[in-house]
Amino acid sequence: MVEIIAITGGKGGTGKSTVATALAYELSKSNSVLLVDADVDCPNDHLLLNINREELNTVYQRIPKIDLNKCTKCGQCGKVCKTKALITIKDRNPIFVQEQCNGCGSCKIACPEDAISWQDKEIGKLYKGSRDNLNLLSGDLKTNQPISEFIVNHLNEEIEKIKDNYEYIIIDTAAGTHCPVIAAFELASKVIAVTEPTPLGVHDLEIILRLLKKINKYGTVIVNRFDIGNIQKVNELITKYNTRIIFKIPFSKDIVDSYSKGNPIQIKNILEVLKQ
Amino acid sequence: MKSIVVLSGKGGVGKSSIAASLAVALSKEKNIVCADCDVDASNLSLLFALSEDKYEEWNPLSTNQIATVDKEKCISCGQCIKTCYFKALKLKDNIPTVDEFGCEGCGACELICPANAIKLKDINNAHIGYTKTKYGFSIASAQLEPGNSGSGKVVAEVKKKANEISQKADILIVDSSAGIGCPVIASVTGNDYAIIVTEPTPSGFSDLKKALEVVNHFRIKKGIIINKFDLNNKFTEKICSFAEENQIKILKKIPFDKEFVHAMTKMIPIIDYNKKYEVLFDDIKNKVITEVIE
Repeated sequence: MVEIIAITGGKGGTGKSTVATALAYELSKSNSVLLVDADVDCPNDHLLLNINREELNTVYQRIPKIDLNKCTKCGQCGKVCKTKALITIKDRNPIFVQEQCNGCGSCKIACPEDAISWQDKEIGKLYKGSRDNLNLLSGDLKTNQPISEFIVNHLNEEIEKIKDNYEYIIIDTAAGTHCPVIAAFELASKVIAVTEPTPLGVHDLEIILRLLKKINKYGTVIVNRFDIGNIQKVNELITKYNTRIIFKIPFSKDIVDSYSKGNPIQIKNILEVLKQ
Repeated sequence: MKSIVVLSGKGGVGKSSIAASLAVALSKEKNIVCADCDVDASNLSLLFALSEDKYEEWNPLSTNQIATVDKEKCISCGQCIKTCYFKALKLKDNIPTVDEFGCEGCGACELICPANAIKLKDINNAHIGYTKTKYGFSIASAQLEPGNSGSGKVVAEVKKKANEISQKADILIVDSSAGIGCPVIASVTGNDYAIIVTEPTPSGFSDLKKALEVVNHFRIKKGIIINKFDLNNKFTEKICSFAEENQIKILKKIPFDKEFVHAMTKMIPIIDYNKKYEVLFDDIKNKVITEVIE
C-alpha cells in the first residue's frame, strides 16, 4: 500500500522543497518513490535534483467561444460573470478577457441565444523526469494564468493512475494556504509542515495548522534551522494544536551551498521522519 | 501616488524583509504607505513587531460567495452537480452538499437549478485592517481564512485600504506573495514600478524569470535586487548578465548575513537593527525614487 505524504509550510522559503527532495532522494535508494512537485507556480524540485524534465502533457481549461452571428448583445453573459472575464456594454459585442476566465460556465447557461460554446486555453503543462531510482512528476502553471489548482488537480489525476507502482509518494506543495495547497493535500494520508523558528515562520505555521484542523488532516512539524531562532514559540503552537515536532534540522552552510550549486541536498538522518 | 510592488516568484528570498527596510528608508523623505498583499500568510507588520492584536482596525471582510442549497426546494435532479466545473457539489443522502473550500461562488449552479433551490450567500473569507508603525507610516493588511478562495479579490481590497488610510501618500509599497498565480497577478497589476527580489540559486533564477513574465505582461518598469548574492558568485554573475541582456537594472546586491535572521527574530527592520544597512537601503531608496518619480 502506497504512503502519500505532503510537505507544506505556509511561509515561503522555510525549506519545503529542500526537505521534500532530500527525503524523496534518500528514500529512493531502497524504495520505489515518486516525488510530485505541486508548487505549480514556481516548481523547483527538478532544479534541486538537477533533473531534465520531459513533457508529459498539456493542461487545458475551457473558455467560452461566442458566436457573434447568434449574439444579440443582450448583456446577460456579462451580468452573470463573477470574475469580470466577460464585459458587456449596451449594443456592443461582449469583450472577453481570457486571463480572468475560470471556465465556470455561467455565461453559457445565461445566454438566451445559445451563442456560447466551449474552446480550450492552455494553462500549463505536466512534466516527468527521474534521477537514479527516483521518479519526478511536476506541474507548471503558464504565466498570467491565475488558477494554479487546476494544474494541481491534474497532478492528482496523474497520481491516481500510477500510485500503485510506488511505495512512497512525496508531494511538495506551494507556499501559502489557499486553493492549490489544499488541492495538494487531497490524496495525502500525512501532512508535514516545515517551519523555521522565526516570528514569521511561527505565524504562518499556525495558519497551516488551523487549515489542517479545518479539513481534518493530521499534520506534524519539522523545524528547519532550529538553532537560529526561538523554538519556544513553535513548542507553544505544537501544544495548542496537539501535534508533534518529528524532526529538527540545524542551520547548515553546507545545505545553503549545495542548494545554491544545484546539487541534491543531503540531510543527515532524514529517514527518521518516517519512523515517527 | 506612485506604487511599487515587491515580488519574487520564489518564497523566502527576502521580499518582506527588503520591503520593510525600504519602506523605512523611503519614509524619511516621502509620505508612504504599505500594502501587505501576501494575504495567505500576512507577515509584513510582524517585521515591525505589530501583530493583529495591535492593529488600529481589524474587521471581517467578505469578497466571496458560496452556494447554499434549500433542501425543501431541491428536487434532487443533479443538474447542479453536473454543472459545477470545480466539483464542489456532491450528492449526500440525495441532496447536493457544497464543499466550502471548493466552491468558487461562480453561481453556475444557481443559474441551472430548475427548482430555484440554490442561492449564493456572502461569506466572511478574510479579515482586513491596518496598523501604524513607529516610523509614522501605516501598513494595510489582510488575512484570508485558511482554505478559503478569493485571494485575488482580497489583495485588491488591501490595496484599496492602503489608499483609503493614507490618501496623501506619495508612494505605496505593495508586498506580494510568493508564486505567480491569482494573488500575485492581483498584486502586480496597476503598479508603476516592480522590484523583483531573487537569490543566486537555480530556483531563485528560474522563479525570477517567471516573475518577470508577469511584470512584463503588465508593461511595468522594473529593477532586480539580488539577495544573499555572495552565496554563489558565479550564479550572481549569471543573473547580472541576464539582467544586462534584458536591459533590466540591478538595484542592489545584498550579502548573505545572519543579521537578517536576528533582526527578523527581534522583529526590527534590518535597516534599524544594524546601522551598516542604513547606507545600503538609502542607496536602494535613492535609486527607486529616481526610477519611479523621475
